[in-house]
Amino acid sequence: MDAIGQTVKDYILETFLPGEDPRELTDSTPLITSGILDSLATLELVGFLERQYGIELQAHEVDQSRLGTLDSIARLVRAKLETQA
Amino acid sequence: MSVVAAARLGEARSAVDVYRDPVRLLGLTAQLGLALLLVRQFQLESRTLFHVAALAAVGFVVHALLPLRYRLPFFACLSLASVWVAFSVRDGMWLLAVGIALIGVCHLPVRFGIRIALLVAAGAALAALRARWLPLSAPWQPGVWPILGSMFMFRLALYLHALRHDERKPTVARTFAYFFMLPNVCFPLFPVVDYTTFARTHYDADPYTTYQTGITWIARGIVHLLLYRLVYAHVTGDPTQVADLGDLTQYVLSTFLLYLRISGQFHLIVGMLHLFGFRLPETHRLYYLASSFTDFWRRINIYWKDFMMKLVYYPSFFRLRRWGGTVALVGATLIVFVLTWLLHSYQWFWILGTFPVTRQDMLFWGVLGVLVLANALYEARHGRKRTLGKKRWSAALAVRTVGTFCTICVLWSLWSTESIAEWVAMWRAAARADARDVLLLAGLLGGGLAIAGRNWDAPALRRDATTPFYRQPAVRTTAMLLALLILGEPAVYDRLGASAAAVVASLQRNTLNPREEALRHKGYYEQLDAAPRFEAQLWQEDAKKPADFVPFGRTKVHHRSKDFLRSRLAPSTSITYLGKPFTTNRWAMRDRDYELAKPPNTVRVAMLGPSHVMGAGVGDGETFEAVLEARLNREGPGAPDRAYELLNFSGTNYSLPQEMTMLDERAFAFQPGIVVVTAYTRMRNPLAPHLAGVLRRQIPVPYAGLDSILRRGGADRRLPLRELAGRIRVLTDDIQAWTLRRIADECRRRGAVPVLIVLDNPGENYQQPAHAMRTAADAGFLVLDLHDVYGPGDQHPTLWATEWDHHPNAEGHRRIADRLFDEFRRNGVKLRLAGAAATPTPSADEP
Repeated sequence: MDAIGQTVKDYILETFLPGEDPRELTDSTPLITSGILDSLATLELVGFLERQYGIELQAHEVDQSRLGTLDSIARLVRAKLETQA
Repeated sequence: MSVVAAARLGEARSAVDVYRDPVRLLGLTAQLGLALLLVRQFQLESRTLFHVAALAAVGFVVHALLPLRYRLPFFACLSLASVWVAFSVRDGMWLLAVGIALIGVCHLPVRFGIRIALLVAAGAALAALRARWLPLSAPWQPGVWPILGSMFMFRLALYLHALRHDERKPTVARTFAYFFMLPNVCFPLFPVVDYTTFARTHYDADPYTTYQTGITWIARGIVHLLLYRLVYAHVTGDPTQVADLGDLTQYVLSTFLLYLRISGQFHLIVGMLHLFGFRLPETHRLYYLASSFTDFWRRINIYWKDFMMKLVYYPSFFRLRRWGGTVALVGATLIVFVLTWLLHSYQWFWILGTFPVTRQDMLFWGVLGVLVLANALYEARHGRKRTLGKKRWSAALAVRTVGTFCTICVLWSLWSTESIAEWVAMWRAAARADARDVLLLAGLLGGGLAIAGRNWDAPALRRDATTPFYRQPAVRTTAMLLALLILGEPAVYDRLGASAAAVVASLQRNTLNPREEALRHKGYYEQLDAAPRFEAQLWQEDAKKPADFVPFGRTKVHHRSKDFLRSRLAPSTSITYLGKPFTTNRWAMRDRDYELAKPPNTVRVAMLGPSHVMGAGVGDGETFEAVLEARLNREGPGAPDRAYELLNFSGTNYSLPQEMTMLDERAFAFQPGIVVVTAYTRMRNPLAPHLAGVLRRQIPVPYAGLDSILRRGGADRRLPLRELAGRIRVLTDDIQAWTLRRIADECRRRGAVPVLIVLDNPGENYQQPAHAMRTAADAGFLVLDLHDVYGPGDQHPTLWATEWDHHPNAEGHRRIADRLFDEFRRNGVKLRLAGAAATPTPSADEP
């Protein structure tokens, strides 16, 4: 897991899964289908990503293929950062 | 993993698995075969479902053996083939042509905005055709509309969204597969599958796991549908007959439980799609165990929730968030619920051709929206407890879950009643409770708390290395399917005792329950005001009605009157009803003309009854009364020296007292020698509404005996209509008995022979009107039971006037006439037909 993935993981554990075993949350854990990220949590996560990395997400980018796992979130952030660079 | 990489992985896995592990494929096919047998054994949903499921089962095996690159085109072809399994060649071609035209507009080489405008214009043109706002009618059968609607009404929006935003552009095969998705032809209500998800999840995981999940969900869907049928046939009551707390509990609970039908259908659909590699999201996951209103919204129909999130909630939120998170949250949530309410009616529009807007709908979605919003705001402030893999029992969770369930049940009951006044009146019954009712409620709550306190839904993130054999999905699913199949065998369930056997047997019939049967019957004559309900079944019949159908009560031949009879036929009027000529004579009978004075040497028979005796659904001269008259005149007792005149005094939805009034006011003037009145399964239904209407309108009751029964029973005209009807309903047996005795007395006084025939519509769930038959026999009626006149049950649909109107057609009437002819000959002496055949003709029901 790279730095982005780790940061997002820490945020999710701290914000949505306090007290849970960090080892349970892996790169491929389904975040949306398992109910960890519901619509509210997803929007909170979007706010966090925008603040943390200075990126701007569009409404159509809020979907399972981009935010469904830690891995896909990290890929989305990297792609956004590369576009902005 | 990218989609391409996932596809490659899938190809590699499937190529290896299929050929190295044919046993596994065989196991999957065997499970699918069992599921198919169950669909047939329990006649689940429609005949089309069985045919499409059979097509899917065969297609699955071929599909699984194909290389991955051929699978999607094969699935698209299979989906297109299913169109012709459900529809005629002509209708199928039209469905395909309209679909291709709509898809074509999405790909026109013009600006995106223009494509959207063209699609809106095409949609408006189709809507005008559907609602018959144009002088043209659609060149396809009404049954095509619901499927056409379900394929395109929401999917076009998602497809356009994908065209606009997705990196991968659709292929022809994927597009056809998406819009004409295989099981869609049997399900007008279909999950709103997202195009992007449809493309992304295709073979993105181990194929065998996906297939097995599909079969497990199909099995789960079957269980849901069987439970639904149990609730529908045996638990759901009539809100107008809720009398105490026990009835209320049963009714309120059952309205929400009826939703098992939708969850069952969605499991079948999504399960079938898994068989072709589409690993779509799990539908209706433990939705009865939602622990909050937001949780309920997330679980109950994830496809709808995702659709609204994608196209409405997130775009609204992103636009509104400049005013702050709370404003954006409130605004986006309210927009979602207002649109959900409107789109619910939009769905009905494509199914029924009308856009129902009812206060119940508005209240349901309004209250649910406010509850979800309040819950969302609370969660936004305080967070929501999430767990990873913990399933401990928690009292707080139990209370939250049971509270949510009860609230949704109450809301659902509001949504399901015919009017808000009826719903409010129903709740007054809660004040009447005995110890049994309280114990029942306490038991249900206690059981609910025990179940709901366990976190059944905690995500199992790290799977155990080995699962015991008996817990393998394939083993559990096979065992469940086999158990159901064995239970459904008459040789097995007959050993369970009469009551249990009757319940299991009832699960194998796809028929309307008594309440919907009564509503259907009412719908022949009146426009029903109640909002249609997806989880009920009546709307499927209504969807088959042509858009220009006019209920009989709104035709010019139906005349409402302000006297005790309340309605009668108009004299000397001709209309076309259900495509058949319907003419009344100068005496307002649905019959040929007769002189008032009886000709010499003539036997007159007065026929009294409801619409199936009147001949709704057959042309002039095709009613059993007309056919019987002709035959009696040809070969009846004493013919041709004696003439027979059968006079049809029947009317729509007549109750027994109305038959009596018609007899007094009209029929006796024609000097009948025989008077035939009709008993039938639903004969109690029209009585209370008729008499309640009479009393409420202060119309005098012209019979002292009847008036006395009503007074003694507390049927006071000042009572609210529902309560008044309820009191009269309790008196139904007494009123019918009094009416039959009076008819018999009056017939005797006038020298006529009273006859009671027992006659239903074909396919009616016959329940012997035993009380009426017994009373009639005691009063001196000749009772002729014709309930089996239509022959074996599988023949009944061929005897319906139309697919959706179950009055007998001309062949049905012919069978009734033949049977009555035999009965007249057999009972010639009792009917005082001098010259009756010396040797009675055996009746059809005698060996």
